[in-house]
Formats: sequence, structure tokens, C-alpha cells
Amino acid sequence: MKNIMKKALTVGVAVLVATLARADIAIDGQVNYEATAFFNDSLNPVIDQNFNNSLSFESELYTQWDDDNQSLTFKPFYRFDEMDDERTHGDIRELIWHKLSDQYELKAGIGKVYWGVTESNHLVDIVNQTDGVESIDGEEKLGQPMVQLMLERDWGNLDLFVLPYHRERTLAGSDGRLSAGFDYADAVYESDDEENNIDVAARYYSYIDEFEYAVSLFHGNSREPVVGFDVISNQALPYYPIISQLGIELQYLNEGWAWKFEGIHRDGVSENTILGPLGSLVGVASAGPSLTVADDKSYFATTAGFEYTQVGIWESRIDLGWVVEHMYDSRQEKSSQAAFEHDVLLATRWAANNSADSTLLVGAVVDYEYQDFSLSIEGTTRLMEGLSLEIEARVFAPAKDAPLYLFRDEDFVRLTLSYYL
Amino acid sequence: MKNILVGSLLVLMSLTSFAETAEEKGLAIAIEGDKRGTGFGDSKVALTMVLLDSKGRETSRDMRVKSLEGVGESGDKSLMIFDTPKDQKGVAMLTFTHKVEADDQWLFLPALKRVKKISSRNKSGPFVGSEFAFEDISSQEVEKYTYKYLRDEVVNGMDSFVVESDPVDKYSGYTRRVAFIDKTEYRAVKIDFYDRKNSLLKTMENSGYQQYLGKFWYPNLSKMTNHQTGKITRLEYGNYEFKVGLQDKEFTKNSLKRAK
Repeated sequence: MKNIMKKALTVGVAVLVATLARADIAIDGQVNYEATAFFNDSLNPVIDQNFNNSLSFESELYTQWDDDNQSLTFKPFYRFDEMDDERTHGDIRELIWHKLSDQYELKAGIGKVYWGVTESNHLVDIVNQTDGVESIDGEEKLGQPMVQLMLERDWGNLDLFVLPYHRERTLAGSDGRLSAGFDYADAVYESDDEENNIDVAARYYSYIDEFEYAVSLFHGNSREPVVGFDVISNQALPYYPIISQLGIELQYLNEGWAWKFEGIHRDGVSENTILGPLGSLVGVASAGPSLTVADDKSYFATTAGFEYTQVGIWESRIDLGWVVEHMYDSRQEKSSQAAFEHDVLLATRWAANNSADSTLLVGAVVDYEYQDFSLSIEGTTRLMEGLSLEIEARVFAPAKDAPLYLFRDEDFVRLTLSYYL
Repeated sequence: MKNILVGSLLVLMSLTSFAETAEEKGLAIAIEGDKRGTGFGDSKVALTMVLLDSKGRETSRDMRVKSLEGVGESGDKSLMIFDTPKDQKGVAMLTFTHKVEADDQWLFLPALKRVKKISSRNKSGPFVGSEFAFEDISSQEVEKYTYKYLRDEVVNGMDSFVVESDPVDKYSGYTRRVAFIDKTEYRAVKIDFYDRKNSLLKTMENSGYQQYLGKFWYPNLSKMTNHQTGKITRLEYGNYEFKVGLQDKEFTKNSLKRAK
């Protein structure tokens, strides 16, 4: 944990003590036990376990005053992981003051925002860093220090952000599964101010009947690292360039159809791989004090598709949804490991509409150039009031030359029991 | 002269009412019922939804609803916030009712901080696992149905109109509803719902009516019985608060994100 996070934690504890002294504080807590079984032995000979236990705790403290026009939210998180030291980590998901006035809303502290409409890939969503060790779907986020001004007018919504601190992406370590088998060296930044570079962002969004749209801009430290290599320490090297991003989100609802589009144009990203005469080279490499960074290259990426929902199939209560999305990245084979450069998601979403709110999402991501695919199953149900069960299973079938080839023996089933205090 | 005019007008009115068709009478009852519900301004209520399956097992959900009455052509706005089950805490739903076109509806998922616009096509689907459909809990605008007065009947000792209402929207889950409306206060005491095959699907019974602000009647219990599955959902309302000063800014997409 970096210094600023320690300071934030100190403030958090102070806030906690202060708020506990108040009578009107709402406290919620959640304990999650997670068991993961891997089907195959790890490719990494150091790892001899195919079963992993993990326990996480999250809480929310909330208080409001000033006729409910001001509030404070504190959400600490901690995970203990049996195998991976990198996954044993804590975070302040939120520690944020919020003020509501007739003209504007203001937030200051550590917060979280979500941008985007598509299901398979979250291209536009850039404010919060991905908590990569939590989940490989990129949907878990780290708390982001921010000042956010929100304007809501007849002409639409405008959110303006100042982001004074950059969080490094959490990545699985060499002793954990679902990792590349490397440890990570300290991050390197393009910005002289490193993680203290002041990033800025803005998003305008509005709707006309069933058509919703948003345009966003971001300038600052990239959330996605370019992963290079440190020759001396023999470690992977996360490099964060300064980027500019333009994001577009579109959604049109028409009867049972939801048509979705997300697109980004990013400028300032160093090339991830360079195709040289001797094959591909890593775009960022460090040999002690000397750092070699490949040239910047601008690119665009899109995710587009639809979700079609059939309400009450077979005269039952069940809703069945069909999700088809196409992902594209203009860098193609030079795209980063995390990119979906020419992939299609085919998924089906089931909602039982029962008292346990059971849902199931079964999907396949097919890369039609590499001729490989991955399968995923995500289901949730409530066992009883205060106790929920989640199941996640993933199967990777990567081609030999595909970026996911390192994950070929990482197929797993994960059960998570969540107890709400 | 004036008196003669009024006299002839009265004759004219009684003549037209005499010649009133079943459709006109049904619509007139619906309009009168709507009129009696007009002017509440804004309201707040907490409620518990109790789901009973056919074996009598109970599960419940707690929620709060804020409503803002539409002025002129715009329909009502409502914000519903879930408190339990605990894994659903903070889930919130914002609805802009429209008189003729489809309602606008957004759902806020607090874990992801995601606001999702949801399709009004969904209206026939079950509302949070209950026997109420989305369309049963949305604001009942007169324009959303066509009406037909059927007969008079005594229900629970109350002299009532029996009025059929047919949904205009083709995505409704019903072919028709038959409502029993008491003649003195125009309260819906009971509504039968007929599915797309026109067989009796559900019955809603409203009881424990209380009068607020000396004018508005609201039930403290709405019980929905599904005749085809034997399942029952009870909506148990707490005390309504009216004219608490809710404003438009409390019914926006941003308000969804801060709903507590």
C-alpha cells in the first residue's frame, strides 16, 4: 500500500471513530468465503496446489446530515488469499464526502464510478483502476481519489473529474494461479510526476426516448499498463504511459432488443510488441537504469452488439436473454494481452424471477482469428436471507500463438458464499 | 333566461347519461377515480413485500417508494429503493410514467455503480420475484386502458361498479382486467387479471383503506393471489406521508446513484 493510501486509511479510521460517535450511522458488512478448484496442475512448477481458499470482508459506513444534503460513505475491503500474496490485499473502495445543492453535486475523496453499456468488455470505463487479482472479468475496481462535479440539466448530464492519484493495477503474483508466472517489478511511469500526475476526465450523457448516449474524455496516466520486461530482475514490468482517450457509448432499446456500442480512441500508448526481424519484441524493456520504450501508437477499439430478451419463456416466469457482441482492436496482433482484438461473445442470460433472485449467465468468447475460445458460467442465488451463493466457472481453450496460451491449464470452478451482517 | 338555460342543460345532461354506452360509463368511472387521486403532490411510503409460495414458505423484501405527481401532460415519477434482502440493499429503480408512450425506467446496481435503462417491454414480467408484474405496480394512467362498465355488484358489503379495462399496450401480459370499484369513494377493492389466453390468472385485493389529507384513500394491504400457481404476494404498506416537499431533482439518474 502506498503512502497516500495509508494516509487515506488513517483518515478513514478517524472518520470511522467520528461517525461511530453519531447516532444516525448505517453500518453494513459482508463476509465472503471463496473456494476455487483448478482442474489441472499449474504450468508453474512452484505451485503444487489445485485448491485455493480465500476470505474477504467488506463493510459500508454511511451517515448523512444537513437535511440529507451532505453525506459520508466509508467502504473498506480486505482479502486474505491462501496461495497468492498479491491477492492478499486491502483497499478503500470508498471514502467520500458528497454534497448536493440545487445547482450541482460535488464529491471529494476516494470513490467509484462506472461508465459503459456493453457486457463483454468495458472499454470506456477508465476512471477506476481494475482490481485484477479479484476477478479476471475486470469488473472489480480499486477506490480512486477524485473530486467529481456533477451537473444535471435539461440538456443532459455533465460529470467533471480531477483525479490526483493513480492506482496501479493489481496483478496475480508468481505464487498464485491465473497468473503469467511472473512477479512484477515496481511500476514505471511516463509522467515525471509518476502516480501523482493529475489526471482529468469528463463525461456528458443524455437520452432521447429509448436512445441513450454518452461522450467521455480522459487525459492522464493510463489505467491499463503496457507490460514490459525487466532484464535485470527477471520480472514483468508494468509501464503506465500518459494517454488521451475519447469514449463513445450508445444504447438503443427497441421492444425486446437492446442495441449497444462502446468505442474508444486512445492516443499515447506505447506499442506493446514490436515485430522485428528476429520475431516479436517486448515494447517496454528495462535493463537496470536504462529503459527502452517503443514509440506511441494511437488506436481505436470497439465493442458492439445486442441483447435480446424474451420475457416469460415457455409460459414460465423465466426471462431468457441472448447476448451477442463483437470486439475489435485496430492494433490487431500488436494489441495488449488484455485486449480483445477480434473476438465475439455469445452468451445467454437466465433470470428465474423467483424469490431467491436466481440468475445464470453462460457465455463463450470466440477469437475467430486465433481460432480459440473461452467459456464462462456465472450464477447467483440466495440460500436464505443474508446468505448468498455465487458460482463461477471458466474454461480456457487458447491457441498456441494466442495471448491466453499461458492460461491453458487454469480452468477453474469457484464457489463464493456471502454472508451479510 | 339563465335559469332556463341551466334547466335545458340539465335535461340535456340527463339525456346523454341515459344514452351513455358501457364504454363511456367505464371511462367516466376511470376518470372520476383518477380525479379523486389527483392533487397528492408527492408522497413517501415504506412497504414490506411478503412472498408466499404454494407450500406456505415466506420470504420478504423491504422497500421504500417516493413519488412525485406529474403536472399537466407529464406522468408521475417514482423512485423505489430496496433495503432487504441484504444482498439487494441499495438497488434502486427510477420510473417516469408516460400517459401514452412507454414508461422510461432505470435500474441502479450498487455493486457495479451501474445505471441501466431497462426495457418497458419487460412490463409483463414478475416484479422482483413476486406475483405483481411491473405493470401492476406502475402508475395507473387512465390513457393506458380502454374501459367498459359491466354491472353493479356488492363486494365486501360495498356497493361497487364492475369495470373491465383492456390494456392498450400490446406487451401487456393481460387481455383484460376486471376491477370492482366502490361507488362512494371510487377505491379499487378488487381486480381480477386475465392472461393472454383470457383465463383468470390473478386477483388483487386491497384492504385497510385509510384516508389521507382528508381526501386520498390508500390501502395498507394489497394481496395478489395467483390462481394458476397458488402463490401469494402481500404488499404491506406503512404510513404514507404526503406533501413532504419532494422535488424533481430527487427523481433523476443522479438521484438513483445516491439513493439510500
